[in-house]
Amino acid sequence: MKKEETVKLISAEGFEFVIDKKAAMVSQTIRNMLTSPGSFAETQHGEVTFPEISTIILEKICQYFYWSLQFASGKETEFHIEPELSLELMMAANYLHT
Amino acid sequence: MAMYIRVKRNKTTYFIQCDPTETILDIKQKLQNLIDQPVNDQRLILVATGEVLDDSKTLADQKVENDCIVALTLRKDDNEFEDVNIIRPDDFYQSRDADGGLNW
Repeated sequence: MKKEETVKLISAEGFEFVIDKKAAMVSQTIRNMLTSPGSFAETQHGEVTFPEISTIILEKICQYFYWSLQFASGKETEFHIEPELSLELMMAANYLHT
Repeated sequence: MAMYIRVKRNKTTYFIQCDPTETILDIKQKLQNLIDQPVNDQRLILVATGEVLDDSKTLADQKVENDCIVALTLRKDDNEFEDVNIIRPDDFYQSRDADGGLNW
């Protein structure tokens, strides 16, 4: 696991989540940021800030990315979502195309 | 990918992909690449039990499972390890609740 292969996602409150690029690219929005030829500032520093996404939701999203990779590789478990998070989570998922 | 763990310190969380057969030392080496701190200066603690994880044992041996939260502490200048410090987002609301006098 190399530093260049990770990306740092930063929540509204300034909490940082360091995850594999491969996991982050489960999100179409992040994939576009990281792969588009125009080279976003985000791509170069490997950091993406989400001022609209709270820490609890962003962590849940990161867990979802990894769950999604596990699921794709054949490990079929359920992904638990607390009901009180569901609305905010859906809004974030919509934004991230996840 | 077999599993991942969440390594936390202060406001940062590292999602580390791993395998139950890997040792704690393997995990520390992965962390070393990310945080530029040598393995000897890292200490990992399983948050659920408060147990300090042993370098030579595997994740499975020490009941570190998928999605587990592990605290990272680093060696300070005086050669001792710092205390576990994980800031949770709810901490931001405590002061507000105190002001409002709401008790739920």
